[in-house]
Amino acid sequence: MISGRRHERRRRIGLLSLIVLGLFAVIALRLVMLTMFEGPRLSGLARAEHTETVELNAARGPIVDRYGTPLALSAESRSVFARPGVLLRRSSAAQRAELARVLNLTQGKLEARLATRAHFVWLARQIEPNVAQAVEGLNLAGVGSVPEFKRFYPERNLAAVVVGMAGVDSQGLSGVELRYDSLIRGAALKLEFEHDARGRPLLDNPAALKEAQAGARVMLTIDAAIQALAENELSRSVRLFGAKRGTVVVLDPFTGEVLAMAAAAPHEQAGSSRLHEPAIETTFEPGSTIKGLLAAVALEDRVVDPHTKLFCENGQMKLGSLTIHDHGAHQWLDLGQIVAVSSNIGAAKIALALGSDRYFKGLRAFGLGRPTGIDLRGETAGLLRPAAAWKPIELANHGFGQGLAVTPLQLAVAYAALANGGLVMRPYVVKEAYDPFGRLIFRRTPRIARRAISPVTAHETSVLLRGVVESANGTGRLAGIQNVGVAGKTGTAQMVDPRTRAYYRDRLVASFVGFLPAEDPRLVILVVLEDVGHGRFGGLVAAPVFRTIALPTLERLRIAPRPAPQVTAGYESAELLPLGSLAGSRPPVPPDDRSIRPGSGHAETPAFTGLSLRQALALGRRLGLDVEAVGSGYVVAQNPPPKTPLATLRRVEIELQQDVNRLADDARGVSPPTRGTASPSGRVRGAP
Amino acid sequence: MPLDRRILYHFDWQIAVLTLVLALIGLLAVISASYGGPRHHGLPPLVVRQLIWIGVGAVVMVFAALFDYRALSRYAYVIYLGSLTILGLVLLAGHSTGGARRWLNLGVIQLEPSELVKLALIIVVAQLFKERPLAGGLRLRHLAAPTACVAVPMLMIIKEPDLGSALLLVLVFATLVFAAGLNLRTLGAILLAVALAAPVAWHYLKPYQRERIVSFIDPQADPLGAGYHIIQSEIAVGSGGPWGKGFLQGTQGRLNFLPEQTTDFIFSVFAEEFGFAGSLALLAVYALLISHGLWIARQTRDRFGAILALGVVATVFWQVTINIGMAAGILPVVGITLPLVSYGGSSLIVMMAELGLLISVNVRRFLF
Repeated sequence: MISGRRHERRRRIGLLSLIVLGLFAVIALRLVMLTMFEGPRLSGLARAEHTETVELNAARGPIVDRYGTPLALSAESRSVFARPGVLLRRSSAAQRAELARVLNLTQGKLEARLATRAHFVWLARQIEPNVAQAVEGLNLAGVGSVPEFKRFYPERNLAAVVVGMAGVDSQGLSGVELRYDSLIRGAALKLEFEHDARGRPLLDNPAALKEAQAGARVMLTIDAAIQALAENELSRSVRLFGAKRGTVVVLDPFTGEVLAMAAAAPHEQAGSSRLHEPAIETTFEPGSTIKGLLAAVALEDRVVDPHTKLFCENGQMKLGSLTIHDHGAHQWLDLGQIVAVSSNIGAAKIALALGSDRYFKGLRAFGLGRPTGIDLRGETAGLLRPAAAWKPIELANHGFGQGLAVTPLQLAVAYAALANGGLVMRPYVVKEAYDPFGRLIFRRTPRIARRAISPVTAHETSVLLRGVVESANGTGRLAGIQNVGVAGKTGTAQMVDPRTRAYYRDRLVASFVGFLPAEDPRLVILVVLEDVGHGRFGGLVAAPVFRTIALPTLERLRIAPRPAPQVTAGYESAELLPLGSLAGSRPPVPPDDRSIRPGSGHAETPAFTGLSLRQALALGRRLGLDVEAVGSGYVVAQNPPPKTPLATLRRVEIELQQDVNRLADDARGVSPPTRGTASPSGRVRGAP
Repeated sequence: MPLDRRILYHFDWQIAVLTLVLALIGLLAVISASYGGPRHHGLPPLVVRQLIWIGVGAVVMVFAALFDYRALSRYAYVIYLGSLTILGLVLLAGHSTGGARRWLNLGVIQLEPSELVKLALIIVVAQLFKERPLAGGLRLRHLAAPTACVAVPMLMIIKEPDLGSALLLVLVFATLVFAAGLNLRTLGAILLAVALAAPVAWHYLKPYQRERIVSFIDPQADPLGAGYHIIQSEIAVGSGGPWGKGFLQGTQGRLNFLPEQTTDFIFSVFAEEFGFAGSLALLAVYALLISHGLWIARQTRDRFGAILALGVVATVFWQVTINIGMAAGILPVVGITLPLVSYGGSSLIVMMAELGLLISVNVRRFLF
């Protein structure tokens, strides 16, 4: 019995052991749950609880044209921050008043910004380095400055529609800045401010979580010289012909590279051009320019051959309730003549012969009614209604470009296919990108979207299109260039009143699209002038713009015309020629004796002092120096100093400041080149 | 008292080593919890004091191990009444922190008499249950005197107020009564009575004590108020992940997000830095200590010694369970320290004395 009771005690202790085991198991399970399953969430809470992270954007990478001319750069500026708790505790009101004075703030505004529970506030962003230095000089606890980068566009609005813009927080907003933001932005510097449960900062200085890495250097397909030329010529003719808007697209038909993409409007607000890309966002009725594509589709489907003659009804044809008019009273015309004189009746008859289905498929193959796939955001597809919805009258209308809408780029890409043996290329604006160490990190190679027509048809069509420019009664004669084969098509479409959906009688879209040299096309150029008045036909207003852009561009690309010695003389120079020499607007050389040219005996750094940033960059480029700019305004200091031997030097740092006195000086004499008809020197790539 | 050579021969190294390991883990955790960042050099005074307590505790433990625990049986009531007197002094002239009178200022150190009472109670209960119960086990009438012995100090401790210590007294007492042979029907009746009395007890709880229970059930009800402790502790434990952030790399304790990070929430500090792996290892060390203690309680033929040993084991077990359960958010927040790990002289020294007695019980198994 005695041992029995002792056994009872042992039994109960054994039971207690089980309870111990059970409760410990529950605790262990709970710990598994907390650490394994809820761990990540709880870690996030912990981190959020005691840290405040501030990101400082890295320098955005430069955007340069295909030859390296910078179109977008970043300059270092400074931003001043405060840690309100520390500052308020450790400074007197007088000290803060001084701080406000240096920062050019009212004291009330400063105090308002400090009256916060946040552990970090910006006091001033992207200010001049010397102001930040003055702030640091006050030696206040809880105030500091960090580098930030300010985006600027050294060539002002050149290629603005392609480059786009970036916001104050280094975010791409439009254009290449937006589309390639991830490449251009780089990796931000992450600063972490730790504080304890009572909000007391742990360290005076933030810990850098992640070092910054500057963004990639993005190289466009754009040729800044051609772009400048296109912009200048376009805005001149927009003003001259009273257009509401104009668009120019220049493509390399073989690759799909966009060499220039310009838009102009007579009273455009500064900066607005950076947010929109009319060449891919706006649509218009192509009008007669569609006839080149119509002819190609008809030839490809063997509905007609180049010698087929059609009766053009003496300039007037009734089709149901619709009466189609031609400009002249034509009788029997072959395909070439129909395209050359732009006969609507002939085009309507070809369209009717083709039928809705085949015509629709043909236009789709050229890329109408779908985005071209260019590497920019916001492209629209245009309007091409499905063939099943076309009534016979609408089929006829489609034959001369009514009832459908295209973007300027779509039309240029379609004509590029005619020039490229029938292959539709996918257009693009960014060629390559390099990381800050100069290593290639991105390269876009030409991509074929699809084949629209056979090479034979493409050749036959280009012969027809040469007739538009080169035959005696062609509508595009003003686009002709001596000794260079030009193929193209004019277009004059009536605009549609969006309210009544009827055509305006006297509001026209005049256009010309073509390629050259016709035998071996190297350039496709599209010119669209929207909303011009009565009588402003495409052949009269758009074709000449095509010609004025084409001429210097041919020379720049050293595309030799057919033998004609008096023109080719002097083409043997080794490098690309500056456009100015032929465009008639030679860039003004800054009236400054410092504009040294390399190899002219000056082997020392020049004095940059007093120059504007643009002038300094241009000077650096002429000397083959990398110019690193800090601040904005005018150069106040440089390193190395003037008269340092150039032989070993690769780069010069310059510091700029805004200074009212300098501005006054400039007004008197050395004025920075302003954007006008003349292309500024910086825009032209000279022979180094 | 002549030193029997068998004591040295049978000395329980296992308990001694486990105790030392736990004390050192505690020291690491206290260093973490009071670490002021890389700019502060030298040991914080808190760590120095803890180091001294460990030294003092080790000496006390050796003496307790060499001490013949049977003498306690003779002086059980004297010890009990003495501890009650000291507890009474606290209520009359105690040093108060945070609204509670729990400490007695002795000049050099502050004594927390409730820790002494825990030990005294184990001794007196062991004395009361020293005789084997009759067939059929302990019934209510056998529990009258022991219950009175627990109720007096418990009520006094509640008065301090120190709900955690009072709760611990009850749990340890219940464990001992169960092991001593409580009649199972009587046990059932008591559990029923407790269940019925709970709403009444609720009525007598202080508002902050009620808040703790409410916030345990729903911590998000008042995340910056009553639920704050639980949430912060869960954040610390959970953010440690499987392997922890590393020694001195924890943020939640050091940055004062954790309340009472050197005492009641020391486990959260430890778990944040050593992760699930460290926590499991710590739990395993306790499990080894407890299972060894239970084994001693089983093996000891002397009933007084067995109940004494079980009392020590029960104290360790319930403190660990409640403390870690609270840090892990499965038990309401009550102020109970993690034995040997939490900062604090009284609890550390008394706990080491108790473990010394456990050794004493074990080595003397062989003497009679």
